[in-house]
Amino acid sequence: MLSLIPSPTIQFKPLFPSKTIKPLKPFSSKSSIQSVLQWNRKPELAGETPRVVVITSGKGGVGKTTTTANVGLSLARLGFSVVAIDADVGLRNLDLLLGLENRVNYTVVEVLNGDCRLDQALVRDKRWSNFELLCISKPRSKLPLGFGGKALTWVVEALKSRQEGSPDFILIDCPAGIDAGFITAITPANEAVLVTTPDITSLRDADRVTGLLECDGIRDIKMVVNRVRTDMIKGEDMMSVLDIQEMLGLALLGVIPEDSEVIRSTNRGYPLVLNKPPTLAGLAFEQAAWRLVEQDSMKAVMVEEEPKRRGFFSFFGG
Amino acid sequence: MASIWTLQFHSLYFPHRVSSTVAKLRTEFTLSQGRLSLNRWSTNRKFQLKAVRDSASSNEDQNLESGKVAVAADTKTKDPVAKFQETLISLPPVAFVMKRHTRSSFAIGLSLSTAFLVIVVRAFIVRRSRYNRPGSVEDLVRRGQLRSDRRGISRPLKYEDPFNNPLVKVGKSNSTMEMCGKVYRLAPITLTKEQQTIHQKRRSRAYQWKRPTIFLKEGDLIPPDVDPDTVRWIPANHPFATTANDIDEDLAQNNVYQKQGVPFRIRAEHEALQKKLEALQNEQKLNKLVIDSSNAKDFERAFKLNPKSEEPLDQNPFVNQSGDLRPPRPDQAPNGYDSNSSSEEMQKP
Repeated sequence: MLSLIPSPTIQFKPLFPSKTIKPLKPFSSKSSIQSVLQWNRKPELAGETPRVVVITSGKGGVGKTTTTANVGLSLARLGFSVVAIDADVGLRNLDLLLGLENRVNYTVVEVLNGDCRLDQALVRDKRWSNFELLCISKPRSKLPLGFGGKALTWVVEALKSRQEGSPDFILIDCPAGIDAGFITAITPANEAVLVTTPDITSLRDADRVTGLLECDGIRDIKMVVNRVRTDMIKGEDMMSVLDIQEMLGLALLGVIPEDSEVIRSTNRGYPLVLNKPPTLAGLAFEQAAWRLVEQDSMKAVMVEEEPKRRGFFSFFGG
Repeated sequence: MASIWTLQFHSLYFPHRVSSTVAKLRTEFTLSQGRLSLNRWSTNRKFQLKAVRDSASSNEDQNLESGKVAVAADTKTKDPVAKFQETLISLPPVAFVMKRHTRSSFAIGLSLSTAFLVIVVRAFIVRRSRYNRPGSVEDLVRRGQLRSDRRGISRPLKYEDPFNNPLVKVGKSNSTMEMCGKVYRLAPITLTKEQQTIHQKRRSRAYQWKRPTIFLKEGDLIPPDVDPDTVRWIPANHPFATTANDIDEDLAQNNVYQKQGVPFRIRAEHEALQKKLEALQNEQKLNKLVIDSSNAKDFERAFKLNPKSEEPLDQNPFVNQSGDLRPPRPDQAPNGYDSNSSSEEMQKP
């Protein structure tokens, strides 16, 4: 879940040149790695670029869009170029979480219709210039379902061959459910991040979605357990993360504790991984991003215990 | 205020008989300490109990004398410290009280043991009520959603450096750590590759799903050579999905892959507008002198000539046949537009 915060703040100077293609446009970030925690190394990118990852859940409201925004910005802050695609055709939210809602003028539908080019539809984040947002459509437009999946595949191919260079990560924010929007979103993906919460309804939907992903050929599926309450787990009112893993049988990418800062960050349009000082949920998102880069998974989780009682009169408390 | 008190109690010798007329017992506590002595206190009320023996002796008198108790109850003393000390003085010494009042010690012991018992019972009730809370993980175990063999892990597992992070320090004695005011312990992941494979097989048996490739409106017929499992029905009033495919796929793909230049629709609209304007121009000039677009340069050159030239009006191409002399500027605007549009067409990739 969370590791201890390392005390030294060591600036990392890369000894070896990055293997990824450097974009022509200058980044606003410095050469040293930027992250909430000052790690003594940069995560090593594993797998073929671009890594096309779909973030799905099945059940709505579990935190897919929040995970996409925070993990995406964490990746950008670690120095990787990221394109986040909001594949929710009817209910677009990713731009709101990122605070970019006033800058979305064109979407993929306009690109398909020939109203603009693909680079004109990409919205570059001013805070981290290596993070870009692409929305599928505006709420009132209708997407022909016949080639929704094809269209997204074309978009991914076009991003790979663009002049600035292929992005390192393409994150696709999948809509809730398992109908046309879900089918469109998972079409170009090579791997999946399944977001779930520790309740039985979410787990059942997550299991169904995992089955559909495996039927569609996506085998690399990792799980993020969101909105975890360690006090309720300690009191046996909530399933533990190990119980969830036992039910779903998926590797753990991250465990995100319940944090009221999520609501505030949504209201501000400022993802909570950028908060200073960082929150526990922000730290957890950054660690999940780290594991995503290295294609790693969690090896242990932290379980809350009763604090040691001290003093002669401590037992009077009951 | 710390003051060391030393109590000196001169034991009284209580005779077995008390005088019927007078019973005075006078005891005197002499308090000696570094700062305070009782002698300076003024006493208004003195409780004197005098036990008179049958045989009065000098020793008894001395004992009585030494055993005088002067209880100061000066109503006029307003010092709280003095009041507190007076209260203490009025109390009998604890040791002697305990020796004398065995019943009160028993009461104290009884109350302490009762309090301890209450605490134990309360803790037991709280723990028991916790298990009886509705909607807990026990309900999930009862319903068969969770395995029951995981319950009851009491001893924390010893684990060192699970994140391979040299900055994470875990004690060798136990695996607990404190963070943000709470105590945590590390529980290792127990999922194995075999268990993952079992889950994948279970899901492949449970969920048979084929990717839908045909989207039809409700009421449409399924084409004969299409697998029904790949057909997805879309209602006509779907808020954001449509089965109507008005866009040419090849064209859409080209639009997506376009890297530079004017987007297709913008260019198409621009061309359409251009054609419309040309058509309007041609229509307006049907009744006028026909202007060959290839000679547009000549017209421009003519315009660039000295405006004070004395060319006859009938030779001026801008002159309308009706005889009205048109100003060159309104005529130049469409020509300029035409030239611009032609230049744009030249620049198109």
